Amino acid sequence: MTGDTDAVAEAVGALLRDRCTQETVSAAESLGWAPALWSAIADGGYPWISVPDAAGGVGGSVADACALLEQAGRYAAPVPLAETGLLGGRLLASAGLDVPPGPVTTAPSEGVTVARTGSGWSASGTVARVPWARQVDRIVLVADAADGPQVISVDPAATRIDPGANLAGEPRDTVHLDGAPVEVAPAPPGAAEALVLRGALSRAALIAGAAGRVLDITVAYTNQRVQFGRPIARFQAVAAHLVQIAEQTEAVRMATRVAAANAHDEPSFLDVAAAKAVAAEAAGRIAAAAHQATGAMGMTREYELGQLTRRLWSWREEYGGERVWSTRLGAALAEAGADTLWPTIARGATA
Amino acid sequence: MIFSPTVLTPAEEQLRTEVRAFLAIELPPGTRPGLGLGGRHDPEFSRRLAARGWVGMAIPTEYGGGGRTTVERFVVVEELLAAGAPITAHWVAERQTAPTLLTFGTEEQRRWFLPRIAAGECWFSLGMSEPDAGSDLAAVRTAATKVDGGWVLNGTKIWTSGAHLNHFFVVLCRTSPAEDRHHGLSQLIVDLGAPGLKVSPIRYLDGGHHFNEVVFDDVFVPDDRVLGEVGSGWRQVTSELAFERAGPDRYLSAFGLLKHFIAERGGSFDDAQRAAVGRAAAKLWTIRQLSLAVARSLERGAAPAVEAALVKDIGTVYEQEVVEVLRYVAGQEIDPAGPGMFGRLLAEAVQTAPAFTLRGGTTEVLRSIAAKGLSR
Repeated sequence: MTGDTDAVAEAVGALLRDRCTQETVSAAESLGWAPALWSAIADGGYPWISVPDAAGGVGGSVADACALLEQAGRYAAPVPLAETGLLGGRLLASAGLDVPPGPVTTAPSEGVTVARTGSGWSASGTVARVPWARQVDRIVLVADAADGPQVISVDPAATRIDPGANLAGEPRDTVHLDGAPVEVAPAPPGAAEALVLRGALSRAALIAGAAGRVLDITVAYTNQRVQFGRPIARFQAVAAHLVQIAEQTEAVRMATRVAAANAHDEPSFLDVAAAKAVAAEAAGRIAAAAHQATGAMGMTREYELGQLTRRLWSWREEYGGERVWSTRLGAALAEAGADTLWPTIARGATA
Repeated sequence: MIFSPTVLTPAEEQLRTEVRAFLAIELPPGTRPGLGLGGRHDPEFSRRLAARGWVGMAIPTEYGGGGRTTVERFVVVEELLAAGAPITAHWVAERQTAPTLLTFGTEEQRRWFLPRIAAGECWFSLGMSEPDAGSDLAAVRTAATKVDGGWVLNGTKIWTSGAHLNHFFVVLCRTSPAEDRHHGLSQLIVDLGAPGLKVSPIRYLDGGHHFNEVVFDDVFVPDDRVLGEVGSGWRQVTSELAFERAGPDRYLSAFGLLKHFIAERGGSFDDAQRAAVGRAAAKLWTIRQLSLAVARSLERGAAPAVEAALVKDIGTVYEQEVVEVLRYVAGQEIDPAGPGMFGRLLAEAVQTAPAFTLRGGTTEVLRSIAAKGLSR
C-alpha cells in the first residue's frame, strides 16, 4: 500500500472504531442502516474515494477505496460505502453524469432497458438484490437502449421497491423500474463488466476486513477461555483453528490488495477473479473455524462474532461466489493455454 | 504481519527472463517435469546452472557465491520449480547448508565449503531424524565422544534424503550428556564416505530410492568439522527450521500436474474442470505473493518466523489439495503409464503428496508454533 492508502485506512479505522460500535451495527439491523454514522463518514468525504474530483468525488485510487472498504468490513459498517464511491459513483462519473451529495447504489442490471419518452427517458425492468435501494438518493444502472448501452440514474422514489435483506440485515431490495423517468448518458465500452469486476473486488475487500476482526476476536476469546485448567488456545486442535483463520485472512488481504494496487484505472479480470475466488472460499472457512473455536458463545446474538460471520456468509456470494469466479478464471486460463499459466501466476503485483 | 504486495524490480524481472531462456533449452517440450523437490538428481544440470551463477546466489562473492539478494534467489528458484527442473543434487546444500554455514560456521568452513556449494559440486544431506526423534528433535541419541583431534560418532539417522548420492552430512548429535535436553547438542559435518559409515536404502512407497538409513559405527570426525561451536546445535537447527520454511518449494510441487492438465485436457474442459483449474490458479497466485513478501522481508533483515510458518502450512496444504481436486475432476483410473504426461504425473503425485505436509516439519507441529506467535 502507498502512504496515501495507509493514511486512508488509519483515518477511517479511527473514525469507525469510535462511531461504528457493536451497538451501532445492531441498531442498524432494524432500521436498515446507520444514518448518523453515514453523516460522520460523509463529512470526511470518504464515501467518494476513487471518484474523480472533476466529477464530484474526492479523487484517490482503487487501492485507496479498497483500504476504506477493508475498514468498513472490519467494523461491519452498515452504510453503502462501496456503492456510493467505487461502484455507483464511478459508474456515474464514467458516463459524465452528476454524482449527488448523498448516498447512491448500483447493482448488475441485465435485462433493464431504457427508451425515449416524449422529452425524457424512462426505464423498464426489475433489478434484484440492490443494496440499500430504500436509503439512497439515486440508483445507478447500466441499461440497454436502441443505440447501445446507457448509464441511467433514477430517483428511488420513482420506482417500486420490495424490501429485502442479506443475512446481516443489510438491505438488498428488489427495484421495479416500471417506466420511471431517468437521467441518461451513453455508457463507456465495457461498463457493465467493469462494474461487476469492481463489485467483486469491493466484496473481497469487505471480506478481508471482516476476516481480520474475526481473527482478533477468536484469538482473544480462546486465550481467555479456560477449560481443563488452561486457556483453550493451548490445545493443539484449537490452535489449528486459529492458524487457519490467520492464513485465510492473510490470503484474502494479499489477493485483494494486489488486485487493488494493480488497478491503474480499472481492476483487471485475472486479478479480480483470483481475489474473489480466494476471498469467497476463505470467508466460509474462516467463519466455520471461528465458530468452532468460540463454541456456544459465538452462536449468540449478543456476541460480536455473529455480526461479522453473517456478513462473510452474505458477501461471499455477492457479485459471484467462488464457483462463478473459479470457473470464469479456469476458462480464461484454458483458453490462453498451458504455456501462459506460469507467466500469469508469476505476474503478481505490478505497481 | 509483514505481508504486503511485493513488486519485483526491472532487474529482478530481467533475471527471470534469462532463467526462462536457459530452461527453454535445458528442458525442451516433452520433458517430464519433476514435481517440486521430486525432480531428478542431475549433477550435470546443477553444474550448468552453477556456471550461470544460479546456484549459491545468496552466498557472498568473497565465498564464491553470487552475492545476490534473497528475492533474486526466489525468482530463480520459482522458475526452476515451475519448470520442474532437476535440482535435487544441489538443492539441500544450496538452500539449507549454505545459509547455516554463513550464520554459524567457522571462517575456515565457509572458505572451504561455500565455493564448492556455489559451483554445484558439493552436495549435502541433513541428519536430524532418528528412529526415536522426529518432530521432537531434542530426543536425538546419536552421540559423539571427544577423542584426540576430533570426535567419534555412533548412532543411527533415518529418512536421510540423498545420502547415497551426496558428499556430506550435517549431523545433529549429542556431544555432552545433558541435564537439559536442549543443551549438549552439536552439529557435525560428516564425510558420507568416511570409514564406519553405512548407508542403506529405505524404499519410498512408490518404490523410489530417496530415503536412507545411515549408521555411524565409530566414525571419526575431526575437530574442524564441528559446525560452529560445540553445544550450539539446538540453536542452529531451530533457526534453520524457522527461516527456510516459506519458499516456492512449499507450494509448487503440483504445478507440473496443473500445467499438463490444461495442456492435455484444456480444449475440452467441462465447467467442473474449469472451476478446479481456476481455483487452483487463484490460490497459487495468492500464496506465491505471500511467499514473495516473506522473501522481501528476509532481504530487509527481518525474521518473520510466524509468517514463514503460516506460508509453509497454507502452501503445503494447497499443493496437496491440488492433486486431489485434479484427480476428482479428471475422473480416470490411476495408471503410472498414462495416458499422457498428465496421467503419469497424477500417478506420481497421488503417491508422493502425503509427504508435502510432512517434510520440513509436520503440519501439526508447525501450527502449534504459529499459534504461539498469534497469541503473543
